[in-house]
Amino acid sequence: MNEFLEQFLIEARELIEQATDDLLALEEDPADAERLGGAFRAFHTLKGAAGIMEFTAMARALHAAEDVLAAARAGEEPVTPALISDALTCLDQVVQWLDATEASGETPVNADAEADAIVRRFVRVAALDPVAEPQEDRWAQALLSGAPDAAARAELAVRYIPHPDAFLDGEDPVALFRDEPGLLTLAFSPAGAWPDLADFDAFRAQLVITALIASPTAAFRERIAALGEQVDSVELTPQPAPALAGPAGELLQGQLEMLAGAAGDGAAGRAGSAAIVVANVLRRSGRADEADRMASLAAGAAPAVVADAIRQVISGAWAPAPAESHEPEIDPKATPEAMARSLRVDVERVDALVNLTGELTIATNALAHVSAMAAEGDVEAVARALRGQHGDLERLVRELQRAVLNLRVLPLRQVFQRFPRLVREMVVSLEKPARLLTEGEATEADKTIVEALFEPLLHVLRNALDHGVESAEVRAAAGKPPSATITLRARSEGDQVIVEVEDDGGGIDVARVREIAARRELMPADELAALSDVEVADLIFAPGFSTARTVTTISGRGVGMDAVRTAVERLGGRVSLHSEAGLGTIVRFTLPFSVMMSRVMTVEAGDQVFGIPMEAVLETVRLPRDRIVGVGTAQAFVLRDRTVPVIDLAQTLGRARPATPRAQANLVVATAGGRIAGLEVDRLGDRMDVMLKPLQGLLAGTPGVAGATLLGDGRVLLVLDLQELLQ
Amino acid sequence: MTVALNDAGAVALSDVCGPDDAEALLSLLLAHPGAAVDWRACEGAHTAVIQVLLAGRPALAGPPRDAFLAQWVEPLLSAR
Repeated sequence: MNEFLEQFLIEARELIEQATDDLLALEEDPADAERLGGAFRAFHTLKGAAGIMEFTAMARALHAAEDVLAAARAGEEPVTPALISDALTCLDQVVQWLDATEASGETPVNADAEADAIVRRFVRVAALDPVAEPQEDRWAQALLSGAPDAAARAELAVRYIPHPDAFLDGEDPVALFRDEPGLLTLAFSPAGAWPDLADFDAFRAQLVITALIASPTAAFRERIAALGEQVDSVELTPQPAPALAGPAGELLQGQLEMLAGAAGDGAAGRAGSAAIVVANVLRRSGRADEADRMASLAAGAAPAVVADAIRQVISGAWAPAPAESHEPEIDPKATPEAMARSLRVDVERVDALVNLTGELTIATNALAHVSAMAAEGDVEAVARALRGQHGDLERLVRELQRAVLNLRVLPLRQVFQRFPRLVREMVVSLEKPARLLTEGEATEADKTIVEALFEPLLHVLRNALDHGVESAEVRAAAGKPPSATITLRARSEGDQVIVEVEDDGGGIDVARVREIAARRELMPADELAALSDVEVADLIFAPGFSTARTVTTISGRGVGMDAVRTAVERLGGRVSLHSEAGLGTIVRFTLPFSVMMSRVMTVEAGDQVFGIPMEAVLETVRLPRDRIVGVGTAQAFVLRDRTVPVIDLAQTLGRARPATPRAQANLVVATAGGRIAGLEVDRLGDRMDVMLKPLQGLLAGTPGVAGATLLGDGRVLLVLDLQELLQ
Repeated sequence: MTVALNDAGAVALSDVCGPDDAEALLSLLLAHPGAAVDWRACEGAHTAVIQVLLAGRPALAGPPRDAFLAQWVEPLLSAR
């Protein structure tokens, strides 16, 4: 995907999150001018960004919303739940467009109908109050009617009201237009009225600059977007140039017929001269820009292209030349994977990487020096130097690993900020008033963890609202505030990240959980009776358990909580539960700060899948069994003049051997702790990245196994501890 | 000097006039009411300078050397 587009997607999503945040806060307190301003600015900036990408449908939809928000800011329009819903709907639409853009690498082409639907919502809102007509655009209308010639070609009307301190801030507002090739009109007017020169403050910007621009450059759009509220812009549709009639039209038709003749020798020459003729016709009609563009086709354009251009001139659809092409470049290599979500990284962390790269370069250069020493034959000096270099490189690689892992660290805000909106929707559909508080959004964790937390947290929040929070009547009877509070909080504890969802609902009804567990036969009755209340509450995480009296659309399909536990455990974390009858429930995720990914080669031995850490694997060998010979009680084979002991993996790990040994032995030659060995396995598998978890419970301390992980198909992969195996 | 009174009694703008030249231009125009501004040697003018010309509307001797000023700004200053 085009780098521009990528950046646009990131920024747009951030702005949408910010706008959503502000809108939701505004719904709580419609009088919050700061939030209203924040939402307005986010819409304004989003609109500007859409303009830069030439995504006019999106700019139009956002503009309509921005107008109404501006009216609300001016006190001309009340902030109503309907207005907030409309603004949120607008953002939803934008998100859909962004998703489509991300998937295809291009802004969607047929977004106009959707944009119309959004615009209609706001026109309706605005129509309720005649004062709130889009006054913003009147200046643009005046500008267009003042310059009809330019109006036909203008694609953007700009009004720039520099901040009074703009000069002091080092801005030169007029310079904005200096290098803009498509500038059609430029005008100045005083912000108020020009004061007497005697009272004039030369350091204060007090003028308004308006301009019409044909095919604004991306750089220009960026600059006006960066100026924020100082610049207002309106996207315009250039009117097509008038069709050429009379003798001029006939002349063009003649050129076209000539081009339609047989292709072959001289076709290119004919196309060139036709383009020049048409360019002259255009120039005589006073359409110099178009003439220039046509003339540029004379040199080497394919006859079909020229013919096409002439046909457009005849039909009047020939548009003036764009200053430069803004077509989003489609990267043919852009696969869905390549388009995976990008990551914003702190500059400091990148700097750390840059520094390390520098040090690595130095280390590499030092190696060249060692190789020169080797050429001289001073073996001892070479060995000494290599040892030093190895130490340096080892340290650098370790630091590089740490720096790269640090790149992957994200604040939990990334996942938390998606919930207020979702909780709002759940509240509406469940008709249980509740609000969501978030705490500790700045807590950081590995990207993998942050991104994988969304689903489990959503399940827990749903359950809290659906099952935890009582109905308004029950709350009133219990003397609780009618609106429930759900708190989503995060904090770091040592190497761990704690994420909690706390509700002030009724707590877990232990008696009911017992009853259901008995009915669903989750365990024998006597075992169930022996469980403590805490253990019983924990049964809500058991597969297939659901306490919902009626199945709602929100939760209650009995997949929620056990899926939560599975998801969190897959991340190397655990879920715990604290519930107090009548006071509420806390669901706590305890997660590792980072997930250590290990690259392993999978092998099968004795019907079990094992992972061998890739860094230990030297090579794989397949050889006839008779090449493996007994050495005392052990076995070994010769690999390039070296005797390598053979370890039968299945046998060593206490698995059953197949009755008849294969004629060909599969060996993985691996090294650890300075030893080398060939591990005999039944089958060689794939290489994969796995999240390694230390063995717990009964398996803890199993010799030769470093940890375990779940395979995609649910099987357990035991990752071998070669250090121990090769002892 | 980018802003100075010349022998003909006009305020002459030369080279690229920066934001600080606005104050100098303003005080010269105040000290010499009715003085013309000769900007034929002007190669660029900061918005602050243009703003003084807009507010004061002195008679102009042009066109300025800078093409942008000549094409876009001068017509706005000479129109009454």
